[in-house]
Amino acid sequence: MKEISFKNDVLPLKDKLFRLALRITLNREEAEDIVQDTLMKLWNQRDEWSAIQNMETYSMTICRNLSLDAIEKKERQNISLDETAHDRPDTSRTQDEELMKQQQLNTVMHIIGQLPEKQRTIMQLRDIEGKSYQEIADIMSINVSDVKVNLFRARQKVVGSINKES
Amino acid sequence: MNYQYIEQLLDRFWNCETTLEEEQILRSFFSQADVPSHLKQYTAFFAYEATLKDEKLGEDFDKRILAMTEEEQAVEAKTVKLATRIAPFFKAAAVVAVVLTIGNIAERALRDNSVSDTTVGVTDTYIKKEDITAKIKIIDHTRSEAMAKTDSLKSQTPTISQENLIIE
Repeated sequence: MKEISFKNDVLPLKDKLFRLALRITLNREEAEDIVQDTLMKLWNQRDEWSAIQNMETYSMTICRNLSLDAIEKKERQNISLDETAHDRPDTSRTQDEELMKQQQLNTVMHIIGQLPEKQRTIMQLRDIEGKSYQEIADIMSINVSDVKVNLFRARQKVVGSINKES
Repeated sequence: MNYQYIEQLLDRFWNCETTLEEEQILRSFFSQADVPSHLKQYTAFFAYEATLKDEKLGEDFDKRILAMTEEEQAVEAKTVKLATRIAPFFKAAAVVAVVLTIGNIAERALRDNSVSDTTVGVTDTYIKKEDITAKIKIIDHTRSEAMAKTDSLKSQTPTISQENLIIE
């Protein structure tokens, strides 16, 4: 069996994990902490790596669960996710075209930000990470039809909002 | 230019009927500069998703994580060293234990053997004594029988010899 190396096989997953955590928590610092926790958790389980069938799926499941724990904790502290979602640096340019583009991006960002976490995560895994329905189902511990239904709802909401805006 | 294929792909995309490859075609189509005006409203969506793909952790993150894991590894290496240092003593102890066990077993086995030998000897001699008396009895009996036979033979012999003499 192929031996798993932390530096070569686990650490390179960091950006995927970061994007997933970011999509769920909508906060960069928090997402970074979650990736760190995920990697350390994996590191501490290194004796059991040979039993893990798919390291990427496994690490993403851990990352998602930690992210969900984090937003749950935040919700209990009554901090709105929307507040943190939009505190990105304003990179608007002076040119009209750029400004319009940025506005459109912000609109889409807002639409996606309004989606329930489940739909947002599925969309992230499908559209950004290019995962198959089965892989998404494995990561999120749900069945494939549940993945499809949620992705369908997410995309319908997005296209509905886009068509309404324009 | 005919955008029927893209329009059809797009419809199927929103209905989640596209494959990953087809979704990639859409993404590259919307990433190009001249998207027709009737499809322009969707550009922002694909562009937004493209920006999400670029989200990455800083370089120092790797260093921090590796430092954390190496720290633990160093501690672990120390314990391994300690174990390897102790290992020869364990080996020696194991050898001594094996030798002692074998010696003990052998000694016990030898002792057991000699004890059973003497008991066999005792019974042997005991049986022999009985045998001897029985045999002596048998010998006595056969001797007396033989004596009787010789006695009867003695009384018969002269006649036979006389007859033999006559024939000669």
